[in-house]
Amino acid sequence: MSRGFAIPEPATGTTPAMEAVGLVKRFGAIHAVDGIDLSLAPGRIYGVLGPNGSGKTTLIRLMTGLARATEGSVRVLGVPMPSRTLLARIGYMTQGDGTYAELSAWENLRFLAALYGVRDAAPLQRVLELVELADRRGTPALELSGGMRRRLSLACALVHDPAVIFLDEPTVGVDPALRVQFWAHFRRLADAGRTLIVSSHVMDEADRCDELVLLRAGRVLGRGTAAELRDRAGTPDLEGAFLRLGEPVP
Amino acid sequence: MNPWRVVALARRIVDQFLRDHRSLGLIFVAPLVIMALLGWVLRDSSAPSPRVAIVNLDVASAPSERVRGALTEAIRQAALPLVEVGADEPAADAALRASAVDVVILLPVGFGAGLADGDPPPLVIVTQGVRGTDDNAQVEVVLRQLAGALPLPPGTASILRRSVFGPPFIAGPPDALASFAPALIGYFGFFFVFILTAISFLRERVGGTLERLLATPIRRAEIVAGYSLGFAIFTTIQVVLILAFSLSGWSTPDGWDGPRVAIGLGIPSAGSPLLAFLVVLLFALGSVNLGIFLSTFARTELQILQFIPLVIVPQGLLGGVFWSIESLPAALQPVARVMPLTYAVEGLREVMVRGADLASRTLQLDLAFLAGTAVLFVVLAGATIRREVV
Ligand SMILES: Nc1ncnc2c1ncn2[C@@H]1O[C@H](COP(=O)(O)OP(=O)(O)O)[C@@H](O)[C@H]1O
Ligand SMILES: [Mg+2]
Repeated sequence: MSRGFAIPEPATGTTPAMEAVGLVKRFGAIHAVDGIDLSLAPGRIYGVLGPNGSGKTTLIRLMTGLARATEGSVRVLGVPMPSRTLLARIGYMTQGDGTYAELSAWENLRFLAALYGVRDAAPLQRVLELVELADRRGTPALELSGGMRRRLSLACALVHDPAVIFLDEPTVGVDPALRVQFWAHFRRLADAGRTLIVSSHVMDEADRCDELVLLRAGRVLGRGTAAELRDRAGTPDLEGAFLRLGEPVP
Repeated sequence: MNPWRVVALARRIVDQFLRDHRSLGLIFVAPLVIMALLGWVLRDSSAPSPRVAIVNLDVASAPSERVRGALTEAIRQAALPLVEVGADEPAADAALRASAVDVVILLPVGFGAGLADGDPPPLVIVTQGVRGTDDNAQVEVVLRQLAGALPLPPGTASILRRSVFGPPFIAGPPDALASFAPALIGYFGFFFVFILTAISFLRERVGGTLERLLATPIRRAEIVAGYSLGFAIFTTIQVVLILAFSLSGWSTPDGWDGPRVAIGLGIPSAGSPLLAFLVVLLFALGSVNLGIFLSTFARTELQILQFIPLVIVPQGLLGGVFWSIESLPAALQPVARVMPLTYAVEGLREVMVRGADLASRTLQLDLAFLAGTAVLFVVLAGATIRREVV
């Protein structure tokens, strides 16, 4: 079966791509995720924005089933997480690169693709071209620059054409021109029915998302388009909205 | 279990190793170098001719005096330097302390009377006790001369504390390597594979690739199987190389003018190399999974190295490589009996020295124990790999 990007998965109808109910994750005294209820419709790009330590990575790990919720539950495509089989339909770009230093870009990609059941070379070649690493396919990950390793990691997250894609700070270290290309591709994926959940701690990418979830200290401060959030807070930029929305209600 | 994923993981491990030339050298070349070095030392070291003194403490006995004469003659015929140290124990002691003599043979009081009854007390052999293995080698030299030359009445061979004959199972001259090589092969099958798996898996845990791996639909069992398969490939090559190097030998022919060159140790082996291989493979399978399991308890590669004195050295000391299990202190014998290396060494000796086949009860027990521990470690390793990590 071909798993090219052009073939959209059937629309998931009314089932949310991701649904969290009363989600709590504590590490001892730290409340990394502190009561999150969230339902995300498919076919859109969601930005999870928040400063370092606000719980973005923990939230994504809960959604992928890699962390166990202290309280509450998560469903992805209607399936309660953790679910091993559903992982075949999920793409996950970790915040660390998760690449094997000794292996070449191609070997890294081929390994993860094989685990997802992708054995054709064509989809591998396609994602490698997308992240502009086709000419470095033989280079060991160790010898790639930090930004190139991020790109390789992104290629690994997309190679099996997943329906729900979690990207944890995907554009860190990627130069601006390529960033623009990434976002254009994210948009194509969303148009084809994929759901993207992209975390970031830089606000200038927010306008490219269909919807934002502002996170602070493990709680959702607000949700909406960038414009809506700015209006609601009455501030000209999102940084301001962050500060304003984070204040206790007088 | 999805075989494609298992193969993909095994292939990744092979790819990683092929890139890492030093680790390749460690598992393929280092064992051969160590075996070669050991073969050289054990076979070609000549114990310096020990200076020998014979002291008869059983002075009044004519039979003792006759034995003393026979021993003296044997030493003289062997062209070993014979030293006079006096007629009593303190004098002999002083001579040893002053390093005027290397080996003193004491005929104890009552020796002559015992000889008449056919049950003489053993000869006492005293060395300087400074350099353990040298002393042993010197005693060995002395005993070998005595064993060949003693014109003693029948039954008196038992006065020698130990046998100097080679293993009766293997034809040819006695060869210290023959009994040592199986132990070393077992040791290598464990050491390198354990260290390399533990470090690979630690890197996987710490470097974030395990998290990435667990975000794919791979099963825990597939991870364990993939790792085991990947390392089994290297273990197989390693063991084949070691066995080939140990068992086969080629050297320049006798009439050759150029320098004498020998390749391979040519150790005589009585049993089937395939059975030896089976023992090592089972042992290595356990070692891979022990490595995965123990990597959970380390945070850094330095902490993996700390397993060497904890896991590897005790097995080396107690596992029968140097001393037999039966000769260990009673309290340590049960400890040795639960160590996998004990059974690997015993099994390899059973095959290579005694020439045992699968009908041997001992070999059956060894294989069963190794298979059992391999299964145990597979289960433990699997239990430490969890998708919901925290
Ligand atoms: N495995 C863990 N053990 C203990 N504390 C953790 C762990 N993972 C995350 N935390 C804590 O949870 C909080 C949220 O972390 P994280 O989700 O990584 O935030 P972000 O990705 O937004 O920077 C932090 O205070 C962090 O120290
Ligand atoms: Mg993070």
